[in-house]
Amino acid sequence: MKRKTLYQLFIHGFLILSVFIIAFPVLYALITSTLSFSDAFSYPPKLVPGRHFFENAAEAWNRVHMGRLMFNSAVVSVSVAVVKIILSLMAAFAYTHFRFRGQGLLFALCMVTQMLPLPVRIVPTFELMRAFGWIDTYWALTVPFFASTTGILLFRQFFLTVPRDLSDAARVDGAGPMRYFFQILIPISKTNIAALFVIEFIFMWSQYLWPLIVTNSREMRVVQIGLKMLLASEQQAPEWNVIMAGTVIAMLPPLIVLIIFRRSFAQGIAMQTEK
Amino acid sequence: MKRIFGIAALALVVISGWAFAQVEITWWHAMSGARLGVVESIVDEFNATHPGIVVKPLFTGSYAETLTKFIAAYRTGTAPNLVQVYEVGTQTMIDSGAIIPVYQLPEMFGEEWDWGQYIIPILNYYSVDGNLWSMPFNSSTAMLYYNKDLFAKAGLDPNKPPTTWAEVEEVGKKLLESGVVEHVLSFGWPGWIFEQMHAYHNQLFANNDNGRSGLATKVLFNQDFGVMVLNTWTRLAQEGIFLYGGPEYSANQAFISGQIAMLIQSTSSLAGIEKASDFEVGTSFLPRFEGYPMGNSVIGGASLWVTKGQSEAELKAVWEFLKFLGRTEIAIQWHKGTGYFPTVNSAVKALLDEGWFSKDQNFLTAFLQILSGRRDTAAAAGVRLGPFVEIRELERAAIEKAVSGVMSPKEALDEAAQKANQLLEEYAKVAGS
Amino acid sequence: MPQDRFPGHRLLPYLLVFPSLAVIVVFLIIPFIQSVKMSFYKMSPFGTRLIYVGFDNYRQLFSSPDYLHSVVITLIFSVFVILVGLGLSLAIALALNQRIRGKGFYQVALIWTYALSPAVAGTIWALMFAPATGIMPYIISKLSGGYKLNWMTNPTVALLVVSAAATWKMLGYNIVFYIAGLQNVPGELLEAARVDGAGPWQTFWRVTFPMLSPTTTFLLFVNMLYAFFQVFGLIDIMTRGGPGNATEILVYKLYRDGFIHLKSGYAAAQSFVIFIVIAVLAVLQLRVATRKAVYAR
Repeated sequence: MKRKTLYQLFIHGFLILSVFIIAFPVLYALITSTLSFSDAFSYPPKLVPGRHFFENAAEAWNRVHMGRLMFNSAVVSVSVAVVKIILSLMAAFAYTHFRFRGQGLLFALCMVTQMLPLPVRIVPTFELMRAFGWIDTYWALTVPFFASTTGILLFRQFFLTVPRDLSDAARVDGAGPMRYFFQILIPISKTNIAALFVIEFIFMWSQYLWPLIVTNSREMRVVQIGLKMLLASEQQAPEWNVIMAGTVIAMLPPLIVLIIFRRSFAQGIAMQTEK
Repeated sequence: MKRIFGIAALALVVISGWAFAQVEITWWHAMSGARLGVVESIVDEFNATHPGIVVKPLFTGSYAETLTKFIAAYRTGTAPNLVQVYEVGTQTMIDSGAIIPVYQLPEMFGEEWDWGQYIIPILNYYSVDGNLWSMPFNSSTAMLYYNKDLFAKAGLDPNKPPTTWAEVEEVGKKLLESGVVEHVLSFGWPGWIFEQMHAYHNQLFANNDNGRSGLATKVLFNQDFGVMVLNTWTRLAQEGIFLYGGPEYSANQAFISGQIAMLIQSTSSLAGIEKASDFEVGTSFLPRFEGYPMGNSVIGGASLWVTKGQSEAELKAVWEFLKFLGRTEIAIQWHKGTGYFPTVNSAVKALLDEGWFSKDQNFLTAFLQILSGRRDTAAAAGVRLGPFVEIRELERAAIEKAVSGVMSPKEALDEAAQKANQLLEEYAKVAGS
Repeated sequence: MPQDRFPGHRLLPYLLVFPSLAVIVVFLIIPFIQSVKMSFYKMSPFGTRLIYVGFDNYRQLFSSPDYLHSVVITLIFSVFVILVGLGLSLAIALALNQRIRGKGFYQVALIWTYALSPAVAGTIWALMFAPATGIMPYIISKLSGGYKLNWMTNPTVALLVVSAAATWKMLGYNIVFYIAGLQNVPGELLEAARVDGAGPWQTFWRVTFPMLSPTTTFLLFVNMLYAFFQVFGLIDIMTRGGPGNATEILVYKLYRDGFIHLKSGYAAAQSFVIFIVIAVLAVLQLRVATRKAVYAR
């Protein structure tokens, strides 16, 4: 019994330390968002929360019209996450459960094209958006992100470890590949799907440079641009309290998504092989 | 009867359509933080008083991001009517072939415009051969801020800030000895301050009249003067007096929280610094190097450029807006809201008249510095370089290397100068018009 | 080697990969080709002049001592980010997978940091480490009896801080996938190992870690992409590649040259070089990992 509690204590200690170190910047943001303008500049830095959160948050919200920004970010993040997952599942399925001509090459192509750094791709892709007439639309914000190296790779690696017996059993049962895909493969991929959804959502939520280049109107902008608007430009004294309040607001939807999906990726599912 | 009614209705629609036909002007800028609010209220005022024109300001990121976005947009035919570009982008814009120089606008509409109403050093900065190419908008220069309370604590006279670098060293030693601070002086934007020192002492930074009579082909900052400046800063760093403040504005934090006693920073930071600090803030001219001539401090900030390829109606609207920005009361509003210089002389006079400067002497320092300096030499006007952004980074890298002891100041500056000259050569080949 | 588990379906695989490929070809390959083309030219910022220079950009690149320096810095940086990142997040994920109370809270707290806006994260780290006013130098000076941490004048410290910040940023990401991966370790195997008398350490290396290999392969690849390609924003905010050029990793150099200095041809050449290097590394890495996965079966 004693060993167990000691062990528990060790784990808790390790986790608390980790949380403190890792979440420190977020804690810092949280605390600063509650301070007044001048308190945010004191030294040693103030680590006790103040009482100004709501006024800072209101200021941040109104100044950059957060509502619209959050709406756009939500639309973009959810649609890209969903489409990306679907497309990646399909492609990974093809690459691991079939043999077809050009397979290796096509897979390599999928992997390799994302290795060209974004800064160089931005202007040519922008010109493409212009050609399609997609500038300042949701299309430009979402479609280029639909194909994902990471998604395909994630599911491919996972599918490679799925035992042949499963697909053989399905075939014996008279099921076609797509039925197998939907009824067996996807359910056992649940944890990875949930994890990928959370990650892709947050990844899209944190996009700044591409939306900046590709949108020209207030109505289409995203949360990250709003946050940049709060950050001081050159040589001003930044209003840390307002900036951090805006940051905290911007972090709420990702938090919600994380809480909703946590059970899905952090809860084990028994391998149903014996059944 | 019906017919007359119908015609009248039609006429009404046509007339109202014409009356409400609005010219839309898009303006891309990089003003964030509190300045964003001031931009928007000025634009709202313009829109309200100019029916028929709607100016739509859009924040498009940092200066670099704004310029990149502008270029991408221009090349695809989706550029805005007006764009704010930082001062280091001036030569690039001049060579771009994408803009209409501002001085040509009044001529287009048969108007006479007195360019002398703008503050001369700012006007000179953005002019080519005496003609103004971009409209001054947000200009500032650098000055010395100091903590009067800390000075008093260290036994120094809070109303006598150092005026030369020798005095900075003296005062610095006393402040360190008294133990009130661990470091004395800091500044950000090292490249800008390095250039300030040159212009302030009427030293050319590059050849061809600082790049103003023709494209600069050689930098001069690794000559005796530049080396002397960097030697001084390096020595001050070794003595613990100078604390290098990073590439941008992190030095502000140190000053506001009382960790250092002196700060060299943009004049536009004054209001923010006074608001955030809980001690008495003093300001003074930039410290001088004794024995060198007088020049002027350099303009920093950005200006507004008018895009080519607009319709005449749009150009007229843009011109109306630019004129509006130069109105005395608007210039004053901009200055009071952001701390940047008002662009027109009449505004300075009005501010003097209303006693703005006697309320807070600090606001006067910046003006006195720039208005009392030389305005007739290329060296005092500030340098103009094609690959300016990159060269400023070379300056920064050189200063960092010297101050952290990786290289001697002379070596660091020579290395930077050699690279800078290569950049200038390449620029002339590829981008120079 | 992928097996043909559903023989006879000739068209289906092509249909399945088609949507992904369509997007990739249009949005990634076309810009890719244009960018490669661009690397053989020098262009004025506004595109008014396009000068063909052959391999000049590449020549300039390889003969520049700064470039070699940048390569070294990038390697050090990437190795740090990948090894420390994966190691730390695995440890944390293991801890988060234990039966303890408050698991959910810890998980959320540790993963949520991934959602911090990159611009703000970089700004906070810069604030935390600012020489005279940051909380970290303060703590370190108290703990070490006066050592003044100054990343703006110490190249090594700067690289360390920047590497730590970049690693930190990805921890949430890595932890999510490790937790998900751990769920797929069959309970029976762990139970069997316990019954066999294996201690926790052995169980981990013999059972858990091998079962995590799809996740590890994936994360290795992603972190490599991240370290090599995505951190330019962070460096821009924190150090601008300084002091001197101590933190000028390859992708930051390229970002600056392309975006800020407006030298598109030169930036394109740099990106093509990185591309070749990473493509080779990635192919090698995946080959090895795939072979291992097959053996594990």
